[in-house]
Amino acid sequence: MTQAKPPPSIVHQQLALDVYLQTLLDEVPEADEAVSVKPAIAVERLVVEEPIKLPDTVPVVTSSPKVSSKALVRNRQTKLVEPEIPAKLQALSIMPDWSQYEFQALFFKVDKLILATPLIELSRTIKIDRKPTKIPGQPSWFLGLLDEHDSRIGVLDTRQLIFGKSRGMQPDSEEYPFERILITQDKKWGLVCDEILSIGKVKPDGVRWRTARQKKPWLIGTVIDELTAIIDVKQLVPHRKNS
Amino acid sequence: MSEDKKQGDPIMQWVTFCLGDEKYGINVMQVQEVLRITEIAPVPGAPSYVLGIINLRGNVVTVIDTRNRFGLPSKDTDDASRVVIIETDRHIIGILVDSVAEVVEMRASEIETAPNVGNEESSKYIQGVTSRDNHLLILVDLNKFLSDDEKAELDMF
Repeated sequence: MTQAKPPPSIVHQQLALDVYLQTLLDEVPEADEAVSVKPAIAVERLVVEEPIKLPDTVPVVTSSPKVSSKALVRNRQTKLVEPEIPAKLQALSIMPDWSQYEFQALFFKVDKLILATPLIELSRTIKIDRKPTKIPGQPSWFLGLLDEHDSRIGVLDTRQLIFGKSRGMQPDSEEYPFERILITQDKKWGLVCDEILSIGKVKPDGVRWRTARQKKPWLIGTVIDELTAIIDVKQLVPHRKNS
Repeated sequence: MSEDKKQGDPIMQWVTFCLGDEKYGINVMQVQEVLRITEIAPVPGAPSYVLGIINLRGNVVTVIDTRNRFGLPSKDTDDASRVVIIETDRHIIGILVDSVAEVVEMRASEIETAPNVGNEESSKYIQGVTSRDNHLLILVDLNKFLSDDEKAELDMF
């Protein structure tokens, strides 16, 4: 344990402040080092005090986080407000429910890129042998309408939605040879894909979640082991202005 | 269906025509006649969606390139091509289509609104869609096919 050095003669106010802060950080009572679990919660409460600064990754925690002695001291010096909701849930509040538990994901391929999306956001997949009916005046990523059973599905060019118009619009775009369509839960939209690969279980702590999604809100995270992007379909499809 | 319901759900007739793989419908009440393709004289400085003008029994009628208007690739005319003469807001115009198919009847309740994911302006003339013989029929509102400014411009030709 390091002890605070005796301060030199204090002349300037800033210097005095620096010395004071340094003293706070250095003087750790021996007894506090034994504390392990409770201060860990205090650290999470600290996140609640500053809700604007969300972490890059969602703290999906299966065990108590490790806390350094310095962090413990810092928490002791901070006047914490007792949160009504645990900090962990607070941080996850902008995430969909399915992201908080192990979920089944459908892995599919779009333009050589493997993507995953939770099964809960889909109703079914279909194989089609006919082209959707093109509606004039719509964006190029809206491939048209398709009557399938009792649903009228708006078929979307997943390539363009994900890669943007520049990369998604290939010269053969008019004749995009898609065969499979992922139908959304509300059966209003279909996302075309090249191939459906598999269904697998994904654990939340195996995902690097994107909690700040001002840009590309549909890209919700990445499966760490496979480096597969997880797509939040609800954010990828447009909101119908009518119907 | 009861008589009351029938009155609230009128039968409408639609002239259907084809452009590429899709079939479209326009209100039969606005169709004056259907012409085989004749010589269309280009108009210098006209917008891209204007093919030119024709002489229809002494009246000059502007012909619209419907493929261009609908964002479809252009196609050479052939024996099946037709110019459908329509009336919209007291303007007589012709629209060039790949072929004219038939006249179909349908109730207003059969028409569903098409999803609009683009800007309102680009697809304002799409009245709705309906299923017909395992195909979707796209219904076009001819009154919104051209804007007021565009109609005024056509009068200058």
